[in-house]
Amino acid sequence: MSKPTVGIFGLTGCAGDQLVILNCEDRLLDIVALIDVRDFLMASSENDTACPLDVALVEGAVVSNRDAERLQAIRQRAKTLVALGTCAVWGGVAAMDRGADRRKLLEEVYGETGLSYDSVPAQALHEIVKVDLNITGCPIEKDHFLAAIANLLNGDAPVYPEYPVCTECRMLENNCLLIERGELCCGPITAAGCKARCPDLRVPCVGCRGPLADANPSSLLAMLAEKGFDRQAIANRLRTFAPEGVAQ
Amino acid sequence: MSTIVIEHLARVEGHGGITVELEGDKVGSVRFDVFEGARLLEPLLRGKRYDEVAPTISRICAICSSAHTLTSLKATENAFEVRVSPQTELLRELLYRGESIESHALHLFLLALPDYLNYPSAIAVAADKPAEVLLGLRLKKLGNLIQETIGGRAIHPVNAVPGGFGKAPSIDQLIELRSVLMQGVADSDAAIDLMASLPGADFCHADTTYAALRSPALDTYYGGDEVMVVSNGSRAIVHAADYKTLTNEKAVPHSHARHSTFGGKPFMVGSLARLTINPGRLTGRLAVAMKRLKLQLPADNPMDNNKAQALELINDVERALEIIEQLLRAGVKDERPVPVHPRAASGTAITEAPRGLLIHSYTYDAEGRITSADVITPTALNAANLEMHIRVAVEQCADREEAVISKRLQMIARAYDPCISCSVHLVRRR
Repeated sequence: MSKPTVGIFGLTGCAGDQLVILNCEDRLLDIVALIDVRDFLMASSENDTACPLDVALVEGAVVSNRDAERLQAIRQRAKTLVALGTCAVWGGVAAMDRGADRRKLLEEVYGETGLSYDSVPAQALHEIVKVDLNITGCPIEKDHFLAAIANLLNGDAPVYPEYPVCTECRMLENNCLLIERGELCCGPITAAGCKARCPDLRVPCVGCRGPLADANPSSLLAMLAEKGFDRQAIANRLRTFAPEGVAQ
Repeated sequence: MSTIVIEHLARVEGHGGITVELEGDKVGSVRFDVFEGARLLEPLLRGKRYDEVAPTISRICAICSSAHTLTSLKATENAFEVRVSPQTELLRELLYRGESIESHALHLFLLALPDYLNYPSAIAVAADKPAEVLLGLRLKKLGNLIQETIGGRAIHPVNAVPGGFGKAPSIDQLIELRSVLMQGVADSDAAIDLMASLPGADFCHADTTYAALRSPALDTYYGGDEVMVVSNGSRAIVHAADYKTLTNEKAVPHSHARHSTFGGKPFMVGSLARLTINPGRLTGRLAVAMKRLKLQLPADNPMDNNKAQALELINDVERALEIIEQLLRAGVKDERPVPVHPRAASGTAITEAPRGLLIHSYTYDAEGRITSADVITPTALNAANLEMHIRVAVEQCADREEAVISKRLQMIARAYDPCISCSVHLVRRR
């Protein structure tokens, strides 16, 4: 059997999900022996930028028309398109205030020349093209990436946790930062998979994996209001990584 | 007139390119173009509470996420006059060393090495020379292990918070880290052997101005707030509060990049600048390694930044071991972060990120919500100097074959180890 052809792409983001791939130090050479990486600009100066791909792994959000065009071209080439990371899945930090006046922000950062930039409000990949698999996280978990590669090689779809960070946190027998310490923790509505990394270190969850599909934000909002947090503080926290995922 | 265009620079972080216009044998305009999308993170920070700032702004860049996190915390703590514990200072420096090891190993082995050996990628190198690539991956993993142990995650660390850390590492974790670092001592020597065996990259010479945080004994990336600028034997000091004199930007007609200059001259930041300005520690193993690499300071060749990164691998591993010994001697306390009392104030912090000087400057309101943020990254500071070196390299290239010039320019750009996601808000985009 010939090896599946793979492309790894970054739209606008921090390159953290591509870096997670390169951070699989113990497995990297095994992985590249099993797949045929044809297009990976961050790692190679010789790329086939037109060939059909069995799998395209795409990180980052769409924040320009150029990003949107690149994404559409990748979609056309790929049998399976995987959104890697919170920016690709949810829009991420650049999308935290999509309602803001973009021209004003551009002018503020870049001066008058900013107005001529190719710049659109940040969008997740699924808002532009069909996405076949979402791997969330900021950045993605190494284990989830390795599982996805193994599954895709076998022709299965990987399965990721469908419960909140709180479930993992309770399994670790941590004291609850939200209920017991009154801290603004996003654990109840955030998709698990990180092994409750932050609350396990006594740091409140910032929601970097994006919301759980069947999250109940209204109950969290009520609880936070009871703890004395104002609406603005709650909205700021919940919108940071996934603007559309929770009630505004 | 002809034009040399490197459409999309490979093996760097982010999206950038190079354009050089030739008028006969003369070099016309030179541009380091950035076409990374604008995420506008600084204005989006507005209104965030002080404890939300670092985890948001670290998303500027993954490779430098510990640097952004720590610099952000230092700026916030400076604003609120928070004094962190000596243990926190040591742990932060250790985290910073971990990032430097990871970042330098990634750059030297996976991004730069293929050029010297004439391969398109480290994956291709590994097919013929697996030991070289595995050495790099081992060092990279060591850097990540330090970041995971101290920062809680290799990318976008979560454990460093205003006032200290969520949880200090255990003695067992530090002992484990120490044993892996011992292997790193041998590996960092092996990295020097490899670098010394590579063909020379001798195609660009120019007097260069260097800027780095003063740390004569090379003992800190995180502490200190005095930047030294060295040019042709003359020295100047810039304090953190006056950072704008370093980023005195000027739009120039031939370029899309705004130029950071000091006293009218572009300058270089990063490993080579750090070693040039802080030579005190270049003794012992570092002195031997420096001789093996035939590195002389101050250097006039930007490619020497790769050698300087290799030397820093030795220094980072040594310094990380010293810090762990210090922590183990003192005993690690399970201390909580120092309480933060917000007030209307401004704070600026300068640190040494793997690629050079990194500046965060914030203003907060009385409730501790951020009202303005300014982030100046090493790649943005380097942009003008990179263009200078590109120009010099084209001028000094007797061979007018485009492929020859193009490869040299790509190698020079990579030697700066640019982090284009980081640079985007300062360098103008195409």
